[in-house]
Amino acid sequence: MSRYLAALFVLAFAATLPAAELPGDSIYQMPLALVDQDGRGFQLADRAERPQLVSMFYTSCPYVCPLIIDTLKKTQAELAPAARAKVDVLLVSFDPARDTPARLKQVYAERKLDSASWTLARTDERSVRQLAALLGIQYRALAGGDISHSSVLVLLDAHGRVLARTERIGATDPDFVAAVNQALAAP
Amino acid sequence: MNMRLSVLMATVLLAAIQPAAAAADTLAAAANPGYVHGDFGPPRGDPIHAVLTSPPNVPAPTFRNYPAKVIVELEVIEKELPISEGVTYMFWTFGGTVPGSFIRVRQGDTVEFHLKNNPNNKMPHNIDLHGVTGPGGGAASSFTAPGHESQFTFKALNQGIYVYHCATAPVGMHVANGMYGLILIEPPEGLPSVDREYYVMQGDFYTTGKYREKGLQPFDMEKAIDEKPTYVLFNGAEGALTGDKALAAKTNQTVRLFIGNGGPNLVSSFHVIGEIFDRVQQEGGTHVQENVQTTLIPAGGASIVEFHTEIPGSYVLVDHSIFRAFNKGALAILKVDGEPNKAIYSGKEVDSVYLAERAGANLAAVTQATKAAAAGKLTKDEQIKAGQQLFAGTCSVCHQANGEGLANVFPPLAKSSLIAEDPKRTIQILLHGLTGKVSVNGKDYNSVMPPMSQLNDDEVANILTFVLNSWGNPGGRVEADEVAKVRAAPAVAPAAGH
Amino acid sequence: MPMRVLALAAVLGTGAVPAAEYVPLAGGTFASVLPADANAADVAVAPFRLRSQPVTNAEFLAFVTTHPQWRRDRIARVFAQASYLQHWPSATQLGTSALAPQPVTQVSWFAAQAFCASEQARLPTWNEWEFAAAADGTHVDARSDPVWREQILSWYARPSDQPLAAVGGAANLYGVRDLHGLVWEWVDDFNALLVAADSRDQNDPDRLKFCGAGALNLRDRENYAVLMRVALLSSLQASDTTLNLGFRCAKPADLNP
Repeated sequence: MSRYLAALFVLAFAATLPAAELPGDSIYQMPLALVDQDGRGFQLADRAERPQLVSMFYTSCPYVCPLIIDTLKKTQAELAPAARAKVDVLLVSFDPARDTPARLKQVYAERKLDSASWTLARTDERSVRQLAALLGIQYRALAGGDISHSSVLVLLDAHGRVLARTERIGATDPDFVAAVNQALAAP
Repeated sequence: MNMRLSVLMATVLLAAIQPAAAAADTLAAAANPGYVHGDFGPPRGDPIHAVLTSPPNVPAPTFRNYPAKVIVELEVIEKELPISEGVTYMFWTFGGTVPGSFIRVRQGDTVEFHLKNNPNNKMPHNIDLHGVTGPGGGAASSFTAPGHESQFTFKALNQGIYVYHCATAPVGMHVANGMYGLILIEPPEGLPSVDREYYVMQGDFYTTGKYREKGLQPFDMEKAIDEKPTYVLFNGAEGALTGDKALAAKTNQTVRLFIGNGGPNLVSSFHVIGEIFDRVQQEGGTHVQENVQTTLIPAGGASIVEFHTEIPGSYVLVDHSIFRAFNKGALAILKVDGEPNKAIYSGKEVDSVYLAERAGANLAAVTQATKAAAAGKLTKDEQIKAGQQLFAGTCSVCHQANGEGLANVFPPLAKSSLIAEDPKRTIQILLHGLTGKVSVNGKDYNSVMPPMSQLNDDEVANILTFVLNSWGNPGGRVEADEVAKVRAAPAVAPAAGH
Repeated sequence: MPMRVLALAAVLGTGAVPAAEYVPLAGGTFASVLPADANAADVAVAPFRLRSQPVTNAEFLAFVTTHPQWRRDRIARVFAQASYLQHWPSATQLGTSALAPQPVTQVSWFAAQAFCASEQARLPTWNEWEFAAAADGTHVDARSDPVWREQILSWYARPSDQPLAAVGGAANLYGVRDLHGLVWEWVDDFNALLVAADSRDQNDPDRLKFCGAGALNLRDRENYAVLMRVALLSSLQASDTTLNLGFRCAKPADLNP
């Protein structure tokens, strides 16, 4: 099974010419297939055109992940009103085995996430590792089912370049909020 | 206008009763409720590129009276360097030296620190500066892979002399390989001016081979964990500060030593033979102690000592845990030149008793003999010359440089009846020691000679060949394989009532 | 089917490079330096196959020839920093500074991943690599043998200014070569070793930083040889390269041997 996935990966890679319009340091250079909370498939690169607030989490996470969601919400709330409408939020799960689209949909409802801008998604294990590498997020599965991971909010510009990062969770990071406002103010 | 005038008057008044900096500090504290001690405000003027120096030199004072932005660039280089004559070690260095480059800034400065890891290095490295207030002392923000550079910025809130070192896992190994140095954060008013400033740092080193065993020696983890060093050295090598590399001063000068201890394990009992420290900032702190003979420098600590030179001669810096000085290399020299002052000191110069050869050419004959032995062509003459150099400082301490010994305490080697009776018995005495009563040249001695287990076969052979051919002894030669045979045989029980 | 096409393409494209040898390892329960959870349990390593040698310059050249988007002059900057393959005389040539049988270095994790995918493989996990590397010529687990440790520590003590040796050193019990003494090697989960940048913080209760168990504690701190490897991998980002870092690939166990 993994052989085919591997072959698929290489073929997909060979087939996707590095888009002329994507800058060399854009994370969208990596072909990455995801599925959202409504079961719709999409490519990571489909998120281009609009700036993104990206992070990674998993639904069974007892402690920090609910805080990640809170911090993202608070960060959104602190943006200038004109800016708020221009940025999307993408949260990808570390745990594709348990975080099915149905489970993601449940969390979506529980946390009353804004359907206009929030996407919860999952991808295959190999792509989880790749995305974490692109975003600079560390994680490790533990024996009991927990996943030990660092908590990072990443700001991508409309071309998929990393503009800002923060590891501050719980309270908003004023420098990060300022960076988001600045990115969205530019034409 | 009135406000400024009153501030000026207050400063003048305070300056009259306190040193200027403390006045500024107190004033600032009074004026601003959120004041952080040592924070003299934002940096002023153009950024300054710090000039770092290699040991034993120290950068010039900053001569500044305002806080500035200082840019420090320090590169980590892993390189093979000599640790003793004929012995090399793979050191991991800050700036290419052990200890690393000396950094000098002023209290209140904003330091932008760049740590570079040379692309040829194998290991990641970081830096913890003890003068930094912040997580890990900077270590958390400077973890750098080979071929990369990290940058972080800190404000130097506290004045003092501070150790910096690498804190990458395994920390003990990085420190044991020489990754430490000193950063001086000057008090705002600067240090009082002196004639000479020098930078010396003690460290303990752990090799799988024995002391002075030749060749490239690897690090020995077991010895490091057991805290059993092979070498205890000033500035990373035996002879780093002796002979032609000795520190220099003239008579009637004030000398200031910034003396640190990188460890990783040992505490230093720092003493300069023949001098008394007029001022010691114990543990590098602000309050000064005076008239100190020996000062303790903790592992990961540093001190500033000052003294005034009066008499010319060679002054020996040691760790007064004295076997480290004579058997592991913790020894450095300050050579003071000038006119004698018999009113203060009239006797012989210090160096003729302790280390005549070590103040001169460093064990060149030993290197010569080692090379010859390796080529299978060692001559008796080369052995005698090498043995003479090794004799000084090891055997001469008790038996004296002229072999006369000390009456009633240490037997003479000069024209010795014991040697004449059985020259080869000397091998066994050197290797296994001699306790109990022994009669030499008609006199009895009852003392303890410890086994010289730090000497290898070549060294024993050379020293004994020198002794046999000196001071009227019968002559002859001792070879390294003879020594090896005696070493392998069990020790002969001390002869009672000999 | 796609595999055969790719294999054919690879052979036609380069003609010269033979298929890499993969040897089987039985796996088992294993006392890893990074425990599976906060209670320091052993980890279970499933049976797998490992490349017997690191990937060489010749093999990597063949790869960038058939996959030109991984050439030094075409690669997207997000996948490798500017020093990628810098020691090759040109983007498509080897030379005295990069000989064919030497392990390829100055490659990023993304490049290593892509290469492994091209031979229907993947990077080994840290546990798989650690498991294979614990063996010497005669024992499955030689890690408490001081001779094993000293051999590794003495590599760290050797200067790096000598040219890299060719692959093909002594094989361990499994027939795997060059796990020690040649180059550092990428693993799939290199960024999951979760050593805090300041390694003295191992018991730091800053739980907000690492969800789950807090930063995992390294077992067996005395085993400096392994600790250094963990430290090196933890200092890297996925797009980094270094002169002393190469890789090899792993495959799942062959169900039809």
